[in-house]
Amino acid sequence: MSDPIDMRDVRDVTVVGAGPSGLFATYYAGFRGLSVTLVDAQPEAGGQVTALYPAKTIHDVAGFPSVTGADLIAGLTAQAREHAPHMLFDADVVDLGRDEQTGLFRVVLKDGRAIRTRTVVIATGVGGIHPRKLPVGHEWHGRGVVYIVTDPDVHAGQDIVVVGGGDSALDWALQLRPIARSVTVVHRRRAFRAHPASLTRAAREGIVLLTESELQSVDGVHRVRSVVVRDKQAVDVELPADTVVGALGLLSAPSPFEAWGLDVEGRHVVVDPTMQTNVPGVFAIGDASSYRGKVALIATGFGEAATAVNNAAVHIEPGASLVPGHSTDDDVALPQTATTRQEA
Amino acid sequence: MTYVIGKECIDAQDRSCVDVCPVDCIYEGSRKNYINPAECIDCGECELVCPEVAIFPARKATNDEWKQFTADNAAFFTEQLPGQDAPLGDPGGAEPLGSVDADTPLVAGWPQR
Repeated sequence: MSDPIDMRDVRDVTVVGAGPSGLFATYYAGFRGLSVTLVDAQPEAGGQVTALYPAKTIHDVAGFPSVTGADLIAGLTAQAREHAPHMLFDADVVDLGRDEQTGLFRVVLKDGRAIRTRTVVIATGVGGIHPRKLPVGHEWHGRGVVYIVTDPDVHAGQDIVVVGGGDSALDWALQLRPIARSVTVVHRRRAFRAHPASLTRAAREGIVLLTESELQSVDGVHRVRSVVVRDKQAVDVELPADTVVGALGLLSAPSPFEAWGLDVEGRHVVVDPTMQTNVPGVFAIGDASSYRGKVALIATGFGEAATAVNNAAVHIEPGASLVPGHSTDDDVALPQTATTRQEA
Repeated sequence: MTYVIGKECIDAQDRSCVDVCPVDCIYEGSRKNYINPAECIDCGECELVCPEVAIFPARKATNDEWKQFTADNAAFFTEQLPGQDAPLGDPGGAEPLGSVDADTPLVAGWPQR
């Protein structure tokens, strides 16, 4: 889903985080005639809206009496793409640095690529959202422990232990049951959270459901071979296991703002009324940002996006107008950016 | 905004909410769990999974009992609890902290279920 990118290119704006605020900032940067790259740690756009509540109805977005999370993100994504930005997904930002000679920022991705950019808009929300690690056995990740079932066929004929009690745990168990030798679901609570219909089907299809049971260890030689599960009578039982599926839900990991030289307040980056951080040229918007009177809503994130991008335009080109003209004007007088100057 | 855990959690503490919270902002007290209002992102996952139907969004707290528990959830973090040296504040994650062996006065004094 990610677009190719020429890493020799210098961008006017790099937006970090493709949630509602970051998507709108991406659109807005394009609308102002700035070149823009959007990066996100997730495989798709939407941030916490997509990861956590795509079906939830949102009631406080201006112009929409009610809109589902998925529809809002679809609209924001289409709008963001209007000016053909670069969009990079599965792209965790691991470092943010500044080249003193050129004054350009370097946004470094986990695969080692770096984006050179004149300004940065941080829209990382509550941080990258990742599967919660297993309490024991995480060291076998990639050698029998998985957190996402992408291709069920690779698990054909295997003994599989799924750890978790929600819908994803049961969905994966049901998906794997027809091809696996055995499927056991281990859940530490008394009751499953998954849909009752899934539980009925699971029992009917011979999936073993263990409640009030906890994973004690994951064992193997080069790969996982077995697990030990402690049941509700505190008896340890060894089960054969070729694959252990961690289905313990999602957990956010805050970005390392302090390592990037940014002033923080709790888990948020402190910004001034222009949305600029203590580092000139680096802006922060949405849930990632903090200022006096902050109200963390999607609605306010949109305004912060426009404020940040317009001020970023002035940072890039000090003579540029802070206000972009009205979007309904026939010929909007877009400010000339550094990029368009180079091309001229 | 935040979600709030009401009286139904007292002496139940199923902890399904703790399992699903994506920002790990549900803290375990001695007899009840509490949501940190400064850390909650209002996603609503916890409300859906609570078998005690104890959790509600603060914006729906229009009756006195829910208003009381909304204030009490916040007090768990802003007030100094019995046996603690200082208020918990916003620890930024419940799991590293572990179970807090204390409750607010309201919950500590609640009749046993």
